[in-house]
Amino acid sequence: MRQHAPATHSPRLQLLVGLGVVVLALGLGLGAYSIPSQAGYAGVGPNFLPWVVSLALLACGVRLVYKASRGGFPDMEDHSGDHPDWVGFAWLSAGLLLNAALITVIGFVFSCALCFVLVARGMRLAQGQPVAWRVSLSMDVLVGLLIAAPVYWAFTKFLGISLPGLTQTGWL
Amino acid sequence: MDVWNLLLQGFATAGTPVNLLWAFVGCALGTAVGVLPGIGPATAVAMLLPITSQVEATASMIFFAGIYYGAMYGGSTTSILLNTPGETASMVTAMEGNKMAKSGRAGAALATAAIGSFVAGSIATVLVTLFAPVVAEFAVKLGPPEYFMLMVLAFTTVSAVLGKSTVRGLTALFIGLALGLVGMDQITGQVRYAAGVPELLDGVEIVLVAVGLFAVAEAMHAVMFEGKVIDTENRLTRVTMTVSDWKRSIPAWLRGTAIGAPFGCIPAGGTEIPTFLSYAAEKKLAKGANKDEFGTRGAIEGVAGPEAANNATVTAAMIPLLTLGIPTSNTTAILLGAFQNYGIQPGPQLFSSSASLVWALIASLYIGNVMLLVLNLPLVGLWVKLLKVPKPQLYAGIMIFATVGAYGMRQSAFDLFLLYGIGILGLIMRRFNFPTAPVLVGMILGPLAEAQMRNAISIGEGSALIFLQRPMSLSILVVVLLILIVPRVLKWHTERLR
Repeated sequence: MRQHAPATHSPRLQLLVGLGVVVLALGLGLGAYSIPSQAGYAGVGPNFLPWVVSLALLACGVRLVYKASRGGFPDMEDHSGDHPDWVGFAWLSAGLLLNAALITVIGFVFSCALCFVLVARGMRLAQGQPVAWRVSLSMDVLVGLLIAAPVYWAFTKFLGISLPGLTQTGWL
Repeated sequence: MDVWNLLLQGFATAGTPVNLLWAFVGCALGTAVGVLPGIGPATAVAMLLPITSQVEATASMIFFAGIYYGAMYGGSTTSILLNTPGETASMVTAMEGNKMAKSGRAGAALATAAIGSFVAGSIATVLVTLFAPVVAEFAVKLGPPEYFMLMVLAFTTVSAVLGKSTVRGLTALFIGLALGLVGMDQITGQVRYAAGVPELLDGVEIVLVAVGLFAVAEAMHAVMFEGKVIDTENRLTRVTMTVSDWKRSIPAWLRGTAIGAPFGCIPAGGTEIPTFLSYAAEKKLAKGANKDEFGTRGAIEGVAGPEAANNATVTAAMIPLLTLGIPTSNTTAILLGAFQNYGIQPGPQLFSSSASLVWALIASLYIGNVMLLVLNLPLVGLWVKLLKVPKPQLYAGIMIFATVGAYGMRQSAFDLFLLYGIGILGLIMRRFNFPTAPVLVGMILGPLAEAQMRNAISIGEGSALIFLQRPMSLSILVVVLLILIVPRVLKWHTERLR
């Protein structure tokens, strides 16, 4: 069974989310201010919707802050564990960001295999698996390559979608 | 030409070996995606959207529809066998399905889910065949003011009706609208919110947002909060139904279909409401020993009804998508994105301008249902093996496909960084119970709604009163206001009575 920890979404975190929405709304409002109106026949120009969205988000943000300061939302659900595993998250982030940085340098296959290894590592750490890391690492490298390479070939060779390669051959 | 001829032509197009193969691959992939936790139909279709640049429109729409459909069948397998609710649609199935599986009746639950999905899907496809052309004919008469109001209606229902909190739904909707604003304005060409980044001039890709919000955010959530969660699996038994199972299932399927189909037709978003309604109806109608099975040993009606309602809703959702161009769920929003990639705008004209595409798509729904019944009844044991994939490799593998989807669309590494950012957004939304469907619907429908609004006001010679002067747009506006006001008044009223 899924083990649900008791709900302890602190109102303080909810307050931060609400404030985040307010800041976002103010940023969007600032952006809307810089858009010229050029209304033309329509009477409303390209800056109309940005204003509507900024103001509406501001209202939502204020409401969220208000609710959070009054003890937060009572009906939060889906609490599976309350202590975020930051180590696992760091590995996952490293995998995704390195992939983004390296994909055009070392090619899709290697970059994605690296991402696979890092993400799998993060998940294993989060699970607290007592696996010898050398075994799991070599397994992950192998499986990562075995997924990334066929995916690369399928998309570049059969579907004609260009993905970056290390060489110009289209195979690696 | 009458509907019958058009449909036959559709079957001729969809029945070519190549298109049948696309349908089959779509259905198989969809089932796999439905079975695998952590990836749903919306994500799968989004990741594969780049193929629209190469594959011909009819083939890829058949393929996507197969995934969309297949995932519904696969989802029920997971929710019955695994004690982890997947997406909301299968949550209701899990309630009784899990209980049945625990008392050794997993096979019967799977059978009634698959056959019920088939029955409901087929009936709803007939409804699509019969009603979509009628709705399209009616929709031709709608002008920009009516369209704008319909889109506002879709925004309202998807954000305010679904979920527990209107504020959170609306916040999600406006974040989606804001994402849709990025890039060049359709009418004047004015650049908005691009922050000087050349990649943002073309706007944010829908693939990116969908994959980020679902796949990446899901992986982040899993790694941060679900590492220690242990999933248990129920034993699979022979997939058969007894005579009494049939007797109890058939009426439940039909009632489920009757409840689900209307919900798909209106822009009311999602399968949550119809599946819950169907469950409640079955529980209420059950008598004697059958009634006692609800919540204890697991009642077969509680699986049959909601499953049928789910599939009927999902299928009928094709009607507003094809005839009005209005998506009512995550997946239909992405299907709309797929149409847009081909330069096709779903709407009433679709039935005249792209008739062969539409009818091939509808025909493929019939074909797909039959394929899925075969894929899911005798072969269910095969799919169940997918549940054995360990989580680290599963999520890591999903990230590879996420990369393909996000990068393949525009060949830009910038998009991969943006994908990470959207993933963080999705993680926060998930953690604090913000619904995600409004983001996607807002993002896709936002620019269209803006264009309709500005056209409408142009027609009104600069006056917004045009929305009140046309009877049709006025009545939709009234409906929107009722949806927003009535639940609040009722709540206030019941609170006062206490």
